[in-house]
Amino acid sequence: MGTKRSWEGQAVIKMDSTESASSTLSIFENFRDELDEHHDRRERIIKASRDITALSKKIIFALQRVRTTNQPIPPNITKENDTRLEQIHKHFASIVADLIGIKSWRYQRQISGGVQEFIEAISFDHYLRTETLITHAEVASRLPGILVTEEDYLMGIFDLTGEMMRFAVTALSSGKVTPTDAAKAGVLVDLRVIRARCEALSVSGRHRAFMYKDLSKKKEVMQNSVEKVERAAYGILVRGSERPSGWTPDLSGPVEVEIH
Amino acid sequence: MIDQRIFEDLQTKIDEETTVRDELHEIIQTLARKGRSTQAILSRAHSTPADQLKPVLDDAAVEILAQKQEVLRLKAVADQHPFYKYNALWTRELQNLVTSIELCAWLGGLQEHKGPSSGSFLTIEEVGKFLEVPVNLKEQDAFHLTIEEYLLALISVVEELSRLAVNSVTLGDYERPLQIGNFIKDLFAGFQLLNLKNDILRKRSDGIKYSVKKVEDVVYDLSLRGLVSKGSAAA
Repeated sequence: MGTKRSWEGQAVIKMDSTESASSTLSIFENFRDELDEHHDRRERIIKASRDITALSKKIIFALQRVRTTNQPIPPNITKENDTRLEQIHKHFASIVADLIGIKSWRYQRQISGGVQEFIEAISFDHYLRTETLITHAEVASRLPGILVTEEDYLMGIFDLTGEMMRFAVTALSSGKVTPTDAAKAGVLVDLRVIRARCEALSVSGRHRAFMYKDLSKKKEVMQNSVEKVERAAYGILVRGSERPSGWTPDLSGPVEVEIH
Repeated sequence: MIDQRIFEDLQTKIDEETTVRDELHEIIQTLARKGRSTQAILSRAHSTPADQLKPVLDDAAVEILAQKQEVLRLKAVADQHPFYKYNALWTRELQNLVTSIELCAWLGGLQEHKGPSSGSFLTIEEVGKFLEVPVNLKEQDAFHLTIEEYLLALISVVEELSRLAVNSVTLGDYERPLQIGNFIKDLFAGFQLLNLKNDILRKRSDGIKYSVKKVEDVVYDLSLRGLVSKGSAAA
C-alpha cells in the first residue's frame, strides 16, 4: 500500500484520471466538513449529558437524606439542589440549538442518559413532596426545547423505584414507619402499584430490538427493589425486637444493577 | 397515590408506535426482497463479458426502478414521522439500493441518469435526483438519503468492484482491472480526507485499502506479464 510500483501504462492512467480525481476530492472535502460538524455536535451533547447525569445523581443523594413524604423538602436540601438544578438547566440550554428540529431524534441516544437521570431526580423530588408520580407532560414542561420521549420517561420511573426502595428501607429500619403501616399506605403500596402497572405494559416482540430495549432488564431490577422493601418489612416485623440498635437491612444485594 | 392513567397513556403510546413500525416494516420487507433480486442480477456481471453486459444492466435497471417505487412508498409513510426515530429500520436496505445504483451505473447502465459533470460515479445529489428523495437534510425533518448512508454504499461498491477486477481477468478482460483500479483509488483518496470517529463508517472504510490492494495485485500480475499494453488503460 502507498508505495507506487512502476508498471507500464501508469503515466497514461494518471493523466486520464486527474480530472475526476480532483472533483472526487472536492466532493469528499464537503463530506468531511459535514461529518466534522456532526461529530463535534455529538460530542458536545455527550458531554452535557454526562454533566447532567452527575448533577442529577447528587440531587438524588441529597434527597435520600429526607425522612418524610408529602411535606416540603427541608430548606437546606432544597437550597443545595436548587443550585444543581440551575446548573443542569444551563447544560440543557447550552445544547438546545444542537437538538433542534430533525436533530432531536438524531442525537436522542446521546442525550438520553442525562434526560433519564434528570427524570429520576425530579420524579423523586416530586414523589417525596406529593406522594404522586410526576407525569410525562410535567417532565416535558421542565425541559423546554428538549425532546423527552415516553421511553426516557418510563426508564426514569423505573430508576425512581430504586430510590423509593432505599427511602422505604431507611424509613422502616429507623422505626419511623412500622411494617404494618407500610403495608397499608405509603411508599411500599405505591411501589407495588408501579410494579403491577409496569409488568402489565407490553411491547410487541418483533419491535423489542428497537423500542424500549432496556425494558426487561429495568423491569427485573424494579421487581427486585419492591421485594427488598417487602423483605425489609417482613424482617423487621418478625425479628424486630432481636435486632441490635443501629442495624439496617442489607441493601447491597444483587439488585443494584445500573443500566445505561 | 399512584395515578394509574399514567401507565394507560404509556401503553397507548407504545401501541401507536407499534402500528407505525408495523407499517414501515411491511414496506421495508418488500424493498429488501426486490433488493435481493437486483443484487442477484448484478452479480451476473462477474461472469458476463463486458460487451455482453447490456441485457444484464437493462434487467438490473428494471429491478432498481421497482425498488425506487418502494422507496417512494416508504418516503410517503416515513415523512409523517420524525426521520431519525425510524431511520434505523430502513437504512440498510436504502444503502444496498444505492450500492446497486452505483454499480449498475459504473458498469454502464442507467446512463440517462448520470449528470454530464460526474465522473465514473453518481454524486449523492444525482442519486437523490434519481430516487426522487432529498439528500443530506439538516434542518427540515423529512425522509432523505444521509451522507453516511451514501458513503457506506460507496464502500460496498468498492468491495464489489475489487471482486470484479479478479473475475474480469478470468473472462479475458485485461482492461477493466485498470479502470477499476483508477476508480477505487480515486475513492480511497476521498475517504482518506474524512476524519472518522470510532463508528461504523470508520470500520467499513478501513476495509477499502484491502480492496485497493487486491486490485493493485491483479494489475501488477497483468503488467508483469505484459498483458496490458502501453497506452491502453482506462476508459
